[in-house]
Amino acid sequence: MLNNAIKALKANTLKTTLIYLSLIFSIVSIFLISAISSGIINMYSSMLKSDGDIIITQAKISDTFFSNVDIQLIQKINKLNDVKETSAMIVGASPVEALPIVAIYGVTPNRFKNYRLILNGYPKQNEALVGEAIYSNLKNKKSISIGNKEFKVSGVFRSDIGFENGSVVLNINQAGKIFNKSASMIMVNSNLNSNIEDILKDIKNLDANIDAKSTENFVDNYNQFKIIKTSSNVISLIAFCMGLLGIVSIMSITINQRKSEFGIKRALGIPMKKIVFSIMFESFILGFLSFLSAFFISELALFFIKNSSHLQGYVNGEITSSLALIIFVTSISMALIGSIIPALNAAHTDPVELIQGNKI
Amino acid sequence: MIQANNITHYYNNDLALENINLEINKGEFIAIIGESGSGKSTLLSILSTLLSPTAGKMAFDNLNYKDIKNIDTFRQKNIGFIFQFHYLINYLDVKDNLKIANEKATNQEIIDILELLDIKELLNRYPNEISGGQRQRVAIARALINNPTVIFADEPTGNLDSKNSIKVFELFKKLSQNGTTVIVATHDLTLAKEANRIYEVKDGQL
Repeated sequence: MLNNAIKALKANTLKTTLIYLSLIFSIVSIFLISAISSGIINMYSSMLKSDGDIIITQAKISDTFFSNVDIQLIQKINKLNDVKETSAMIVGASPVEALPIVAIYGVTPNRFKNYRLILNGYPKQNEALVGEAIYSNLKNKKSISIGNKEFKVSGVFRSDIGFENGSVVLNINQAGKIFNKSASMIMVNSNLNSNIEDILKDIKNLDANIDAKSTENFVDNYNQFKIIKTSSNVISLIAFCMGLLGIVSIMSITINQRKSEFGIKRALGIPMKKIVFSIMFESFILGFLSFLSAFFISELALFFIKNSSHLQGYVNGEITSSLALIIFVTSISMALIGSIIPALNAAHTDPVELIQGNKI
Repeated sequence: MIQANNITHYYNNDLALENINLEINKGEFIAIIGESGSGKSTLLSILSTLLSPTAGKMAFDNLNYKDIKNIDTFRQKNIGFIFQFHYLINYLDVKDNLKIANEKATNQEIIDILELLDIKELLNRYPNEISGGQRQRVAIARALINNPTVIFADEPTGNLDSKNSIKVFELFKKLSQNGTTVIVATHDLTLAKEANRIYEVKDGQL
């Protein structure tokens, strides 16, 4: 059966190639959009999770960019039961040299350890620690200007969280002056086996203007993540539908050209379900091969995206085994669903037409 | 073996066959002759289970066609088809074309059938590598591979030269002598004379 299916696909080289390409384009699109969107979400959520179990932002403000929390709260939080360590961060953005937008993180000194040094040291006052992706783009590697203020480059760091490599780290008090806020968020690290809900309750009692959430909860409810996920799903669905339409249309043409083959099979008593199965098996082979090709193309594309200095590490994607599995199922489904209608049409070929004047 | 009682058939409102009564016995070689559009192909389609008549009763060994539970299995077991055009699958070699009709056929069975038709050497050749006459003989081999009780052939020599046409009819005669019922629709009276009985269809009537 496999042998005959491969021969049938080879016999219609042009149309097989068109279906194959149509599937590959769709699957690569789904791979890339899913991998990149989940990569961005993973990077940001990893950053948030790296330094705490609880995130505190300004109440009723849904975006950390616009949140402003009083940094003095740290002292009160540190006194609460089961609080191990508290840090704060300002999230901002600024042009740096020719780069139009660079993430600026103002952090408390206890957060510096998250940025692995590869050159010199952590920033003191009027100094900035620069991510390696930014550093490689700097013309003046000794100092940078942020918000009309000059900062001496204290060192260079490398982070496993891709987009952090495209950022600049300052002391939080100096970032506060530039962005005119105290802290975008405060992150609380609790003792092992402590009750997060109790700590959250205690924190909320400290100030009515703050909102405290567990990091997991924050990540799950973060609006930007929802937007990214929804956009990714919509684009994936469109890619799926485009692929599906491609298969249905080209498959229909192929099946139409092979009608005499199905007519003779019907006349010979080959059951309809067997004809449907044989066509869907051909589609399965195409779906499987397209998935493999798309997987390698996507891995290659993601490698170039990840290592593009132009993107400063902001766009990153990873094909996890679960994503690959989901897209494998999607690819096979696309191939099979796309071939159902043409296969049913083929199975319903009336063999009488073979007798009545070669109309097929 | 095959009984047609009062068979009438319409295509939409056009009468194709009217009140046909026919009985064909096992091992007979029957020729149905008639001009184009006379209704002989429609009669062949009805006799071979491919088409249900508008009215009348068809039976195979006293089994009403309407009572056949699995028409596909019935056709596979009992009927072999040969058409005017060979309808071989171009991307399969001769052996695989025969296997389409009977996937359980052994290599030896395939070789035996090809030998009977004097085309054993074509076993691994593709349809586009052989002549028109050879293709039609492969189509006949495909019809025989299931060892059917009855063979229906619609203008089987329509695309063949006279030499190959005679060979095909000689083969049909041989098959009928071996017990296979052969029903052939043709417009060639000379060839039809090879048959045991000749029926003429004219304006939908036998």
